[in-house]
Amino acid sequence: LSSSGTGALAQWVLVELQGEVEPRQSGGLAGSLLGDLHYTCEGVPVLIVGHHILYGKVVQLEKPFAVLVKEGGAPQPGPGGPQSCYTVTALIKTKLLFKTRPKPIITHVPKKV
Amino acid sequence: AAMRSRAEVDATLQTAKLNPAELLPAVHCLSFGPQASSGECCLLQLEPGLCAELEAGRSLVIRGEKDEHAVLCSKDKTYAMKIADTSNMLLFVPGCKTPEELNADPASCNIIHAQIAGFSKNYWELRRCRPKLKKLRKLLMEDPYEGPDSRKDQTSTFSKYTTEDLLSLIQASEEEILHQLQVIDACKIEGYWRILDFEYEMKLLNNVTQLIDSESWPLSKVPLCACLEELGSLEPQEMIEHILLSYGRKYVDDAGEVFFEMCEDKICRAIAQMLLRNAVKFNLSEFEEVWQQSVPEGMTTRLDQLKGLALVDQSSRPETIFLLKVEDLPEDNQERFNSLFGIREKWTEVEITPYIQDLCAEKQTVGALLTKYARSSMLNGVKVYNSRRPIS
Repeated sequence: LSSSGTGALAQWVLVELQGEVEPRQSGGLAGSLLGDLHYTCEGVPVLIVGHHILYGKVVQLEKPFAVLVKEGGAPQPGPGGPQSCYTVTALIKTKLLFKTRPKPIITHVPKKV
Repeated sequence: AAMRSRAEVDATLQTAKLNPAELLPAVHCLSFGPQASSGECCLLQLEPGLCAELEAGRSLVIRGEKDEHAVLCSKDKTYAMKIADTSNMLLFVPGCKTPEELNADPASCNIIHAQIAGFSKNYWELRRCRPKLKKLRKLLMEDPYEGPDSRKDQTSTFSKYTTEDLLSLIQASEEEILHQLQVIDACKIEGYWRILDFEYEMKLLNNVTQLIDSESWPLSKVPLCACLEELGSLEPQEMIEHILLSYGRKYVDDAGEVFFEMCEDKICRAIAQMLLRNAVKFNLSEFEEVWQQSVPEGMTTRLDQLKGLALVDQSSRPETIFLLKVEDLPEDNQERFNSLFGIREKWTEVEITPYIQDLCAEKQTVGALLTKYARSSMLNGVKVYNSRRPIS
């Protein structure tokens, strides 16, 4: 696997969340919104997902990640497969870690009649 | 889905009872990109040094055939690959900025629409490992070079390997492969890497040692030119030079002439191998006598020259010696120890070290290997090692 060769590698960021990511609507995830990511003035990341607020922290990774994209489209990059070609698309040196329990957002619900 | 507007973002902030004054002005609206669920992207955790290599534009290669565990190779190192699971969801987001980056760029956009490129619950982990080089010798032994007169070579290119072929078949880095080719005295003939057939190799060596003897050259100063001149009619020049390189150290004197300092240990060892391969085992004292008589004038044989090549059986009466080459033994640690304990039940550390030395990982000692794979006991006041489990 080699870098895509067009100059410096892109730097991406990793967002680490607890639990599963599920589509809110049927039809899969593509195109659907996850939420809004803010930072406080002190640099604390705040993620609003649905009815939850998540507070996290910025972590510089001791061991950076390379993001590999498999050519050929097979879903699993497995060790047993025939030789496949991977390209390094980006490097990840930073992650936003959201490990604290999400705080629910309590909205004003109109009284049911 | 339509992209969120500033108004929508602000409305959400209000609902969440967050104070915009305590937040940086820029917001990232995260959504899933079109290929996010495809699973084509995966994460590889990088060991120290690899990140710098990638950034410098160098490649990493994943190697492994169907029946092999995949390894990752940089220019000069090999790593085993393993999947690590986390209980968390990892989302990879291009174009996502950190607070530092936002603060450094005051003109940064108010709303950044960032698309999540992919996500995963696991990633590949790397662990530095020994390169798997046993296969290299195995491939080259498929068709050893028997000399220019051999009929075999003229008929086919079957089982011959170029550097590129070896790179695609051997689970090791390029540097490790090239280094190993040198260690096993392989040579390039017509673009293919070859190992010499042992008998042909001994014939070449014999030509050289006989010439050294008849010319009365000192073993430390064997002239290349004269060798090529005298032996050029018998053997190809490249082969003469190759055998000198394999069994000697090349140097240039002040006058610019090329000489070889012959390696006594390596020559004695090769001659021992030649003698030992003719029978299952030999009477030790008889062998030592014949061996000394067979080596070139001026060379002295010593049993420690045979480490990793032959084993002495001190328990038999009379004592015997037999061929046991470390390169013929299994590459996997457990299999190697099983094999050794199958050959002999108990080993002293001195006896077993030459047969396990190559298993040591970076910074691992023979002692550590013995602790892990063997059990020790005392025999006649000497510490010996045997198998941890019954050998079937």
